[in-house]
Amino acid sequence: MSRLFTADLHVHTLLSPCAAVEMTPRHIVRRAVEFGIDIIAITDHNACDNVAAAIEAATGAGIVIIPGMEVETKEETHVLTLFETLPQLAAWEAYVAARRSGRKNDEKKFGAQFIVDAEDNLVAVKEEMLLGAIDADVAEVARTVAAIGGITIASHVDRPSYSILSQLGFIPPDVELAAVEVSRLTPYREASRLPGISGLPVITSSDAHTMDDFACGPRTEFLLERPTLSEIRLALANNQNRRIVGAIKSRTT
Amino acid sequence: MTVHDILSALPVKCVAGKEASGAIVLGGYASDLLSNVMGQAKAGSVWVTMQGHKNIVAVASLAGLSAIVIAGGSKPDADTLAKAESENIALLITDLPVFEFVGQLYALGVKGR
Repeated sequence: MSRLFTADLHVHTLLSPCAAVEMTPRHIVRRAVEFGIDIIAITDHNACDNVAAAIEAATGAGIVIIPGMEVETKEETHVLTLFETLPQLAAWEAYVAARRSGRKNDEKKFGAQFIVDAEDNLVAVKEEMLLGAIDADVAEVARTVAAIGGITIASHVDRPSYSILSQLGFIPPDVELAAVEVSRLTPYREASRLPGISGLPVITSSDAHTMDDFACGPRTEFLLERPTLSEIRLALANNQNRRIVGAIKSRTT
Repeated sequence: MTVHDILSALPVKCVAGKEASGAIVLGGYASDLLSNVMGQAKAGSVWVTMQGHKNIVAVASLAGLSAIVIAGGSKPDADTLAKAESENIALLITDLPVFEFVGQLYALGVKGR
């Protein structure tokens, strides 16, 4: 039997230098229960060190964590890369790590990058700079993600910076995208009319860097049989009765 | 002025699309943001950028630009070279930084439009 699932497929933890320290995996899971969110993708910039802790923190909470990452490509476009399993994400992390700049983060300028466990204990501070482009273009990123078994979604295509449309002006036909994401700037029902999205399915997510962002949404509602990435993949393709139902609008707290 | 004149006068070499080096140059444009180039660069301009990925060729082709110069020692991808050949766009590279190269182009008589 299929039913509605609410998903926020773009959430940053305190590993992202620009995210608030309140964004611990455990805190995100607790608030997700309160906000009625069923599925969360953890998508930190160019790294994924807090995903396993989020999966552990979600155990028994009725929340499903999708392993993911938000990658900045060579053209300075942001894309969400989502996977079915942790081993797939680990393979992807190895690819990304080899293509990061290798510079050290300057905490004073960009913020600290914290790795924590499922109980909010500090495990390490990530020294390597996570902001900035990796040395791979968007077509290669999407191709590699697909080869590993994941999907690629273009982040906030309605935003004036770091979006595939703002950087390139168009979506190159050889970029294998499962969907595009719009931010809270665009009312979801108007999103499919955005120029340049080439008829791709549209989702919306919070891109949360703070608990306020996370509370206010927006999120996407899916009709699925189970809360898994493979079901979301079917829904994005509007296949086997799985589909995108619409968006849960932003609300003010 | 043609792309060929730029090749003879400045420290820059053509790495793909040599057959297109007879193209007339009407002016110049410099930017690394492809959406900006598509919106602002005038047809017949030579475009100076640091970007070396293949989407620059699509943009140059759409905007009707006369040549692409990848400056600052940045290297074009293999895909970019192949696409420049197939789209017949002259692809030039120089080790000079963008600022220096644009200065030399300007001194040669290529103006922004």
